[in-house]
Amino acid sequence: MRTETPIADTIAEPAATPGSARSRKALWGVTFAAMAALLVGAFAYAPEDLEQGPPQRIFYIHVPSAWVGFLAFFVVFVASIAFLLTKRRRFDDVAAASAEVGMVFTSAVLVTGPLLARPIWGTYWSWDPRLTRFLVLWLTYLSYLLLRGYVPDPARRARFSAVLGIVGFLDVPIVYLSVRWWRALHPEAVVFTEGGPQMPSQMLATLLLGLAAFTLLYLALMSLRLRLTRLREAREEAAP
Amino acid sequence: MTGPEAGILLDRVSKTFGPQVALAGVDLEIEPGSYVAVMGANGSGKSTLLKVIAGLAAPTRGSVRVAGVDMRRAGSRLRAMVGYVGHASMLYPDLTARENLTFYAKLFGLRDPAPAVEEAVAAFDVERALDRQVRTLSRGTKQRVTLARALLHQPKVVLLDEPYTGLDEAAAVTLTTLLDDLHTPGRILLVTLHDVARAMSGPGRLVVLSAGRVALDVPLDGRGVDVAETYHSLLRSEVAS
Amino acid sequence: MSLIGSALVIAGKDLRLESKTRDVVGSAGLFGLLVIVVASFAFPTWGDGREGVAAGVLWIAFAFAALLGLGRSFAIEKEEDCLEGLLVSPAPAEAIFLGKLVANVVFTAAIEIVILPVFVVLLSLRPSDVAILVAAAFLGTLGLLTVGTLFAAMAVNTRGRESILPLLVMPVSVPVMIAAVKATQSALGGQGAGDVFPWMLLMLGYDVLFLMVALATFPQVTEE
Repeated sequence: MRTETPIADTIAEPAATPGSARSRKALWGVTFAAMAALLVGAFAYAPEDLEQGPPQRIFYIHVPSAWVGFLAFFVVFVASIAFLLTKRRRFDDVAAASAEVGMVFTSAVLVTGPLLARPIWGTYWSWDPRLTRFLVLWLTYLSYLLLRGYVPDPARRARFSAVLGIVGFLDVPIVYLSVRWWRALHPEAVVFTEGGPQMPSQMLATLLLGLAAFTLLYLALMSLRLRLTRLREAREEAAP
Repeated sequence: MTGPEAGILLDRVSKTFGPQVALAGVDLEIEPGSYVAVMGANGSGKSTLLKVIAGLAAPTRGSVRVAGVDMRRAGSRLRAMVGYVGHASMLYPDLTARENLTFYAKLFGLRDPAPAVEEAVAAFDVERALDRQVRTLSRGTKQRVTLARALLHQPKVVLLDEPYTGLDEAAAVTLTTLLDDLHTPGRILLVTLHDVARAMSGPGRLVVLSAGRVALDVPLDGRGVDVAETYHSLLRSEVAS
Repeated sequence: MSLIGSALVIAGKDLRLESKTRDVVGSAGLFGLLVIVVASFAFPTWGDGREGVAAGVLWIAFAFAALLGLGRSFAIEKEEDCLEGLLVSPAPAEAIFLGKLVANVVFTAAIEIVILPVFVVLLSLRPSDVAILVAAAFLGTLGLLTVGTLFAAMAVNTRGRESILPLLVMPVSVPVMIAAVKATQSALGGQGAGDVFPWMLLMLGYDVLFLMVALATFPQVTEE
């Protein structure tokens, strides 16, 4: 069993070392390049959808955002388990950062979803199973972040959030099932079919590029957020 | 409860609460049968020390052994040997003293709660308070019921965190006598105090904590005046720094 | 002392406390009843195909009653540091969780037992429907309380105390609420067991999964 310390003894990362600054810049560079390519792909390269017209292009932001929203919560889950097992502060930092970043992307899903739905179905919100799932995910993120705000003691905050992160993530597949069955009884207005293979290859390619670009964006934002956390910790430790 | 003699061993124990350091590397060995007074300024780690021995708080670093067994390994069994009284009474205000004591007797696994409760009631003279709601009891009586609760299971290690707080002189004298009676061979009594005079009458050893470390650890056998001097100069130097 | 033994001792203590103060059953029960009365004004017809509404209102009442009871459940341990009293005993932390859960189930069941017969009578339910109704109420309430007991232990140790509890419980309890309402709807509408089976299975799965997760993580919540 570990007797080494966890929470108090974290060595704060020095504010700037040339190596890490360079790799950060590289990460942002690649991210910008990918996002630029995505814009080009989304607006110029991918063909216009015959049924849905130009608004459909928001799809290339919507789906990657959903992917990252989900990925981020998975990271919260893994980091939470890792924290409870090892009590190393780093894992709590990662979980917290991922929750914040994930919330941003999930919000994007909830914004782009209705924007896509409206021109096609005439309604902003129709309790579509996919969007409803993301609404629940968004609420779970919200409760996670609120919980963190309500607990001043860092060690306790980390433990509580970790428990919530684990419970919240394990809930995701169950939410998926229950919402899908629920909506199966009312099959109107399913805006987003889970279809993939029918897409023309150009669309698919753009979509994959979107997934890659957004994942890079997630990583870049995570590194930024974690750096902020470490600087804050270093300042706390320097001036108790 | 028979079994190995219950000694306490703290090995480089640290405890932090986030950025706050409560204990910073405490080494302490307490033999069975000791009556130890623990003193120190507020925030020096006295309460945390007791909590760590009681199994309420797990050390961030280091290990706590009771009767040779690491608390982390056999917490449940070891806790059955420890009686702890913290700052609050740990009594349910809306239940009667009898109901509280019976509950704790069962919780501590006593097969036959009634006799243990009777015995504790007699020992602490709370017969009159038995069927009254704890909420209605006076501070002194509540204190005695709290002690009864902590001692129901005949613990080998008794930890009392500032038991004299808020007691008037009469109640304090009663408490001192009670504590002396509790000090039986084979049992460890660890009491945190603020008053040097009380530390002198009863305990056989004084441990002083300062900023989470052991600053003084001396036997108390008739060297009362010297020890009091040392303690006060320690406090003065703390205030100065 | 065994896990179950300690849990039952703790549950017994909570029941004894409640029998003296009648805090939970009183305030939570009254609140549940109030929800139903207000809903009756908002949705005047209960039957005639409005089982969906009836089921929804029923579960809103149960959910609020459960949350009130949960908050109280750990608030009593905060007074006089009684939770420390439990933690310092040989009883494992899991026993504290189970004990609280059992007590909360009993209290919420007491409230439901008062409210449900009203619905049975109003909607002239057959015995098979009543059986489904009771099963759905039990599984759904258990799910809500399992997660709720875990979160209540956390909530009571935050700045907002019990007020943050609904925020924590609601998102996570979405599946069990959907399932419970759907199953209840079938029962109230007399649609028979066929439709109901998947929802019951979902609730059962939810209950088992989160009972295990709660038992595994509860010690982390009470640790200092």
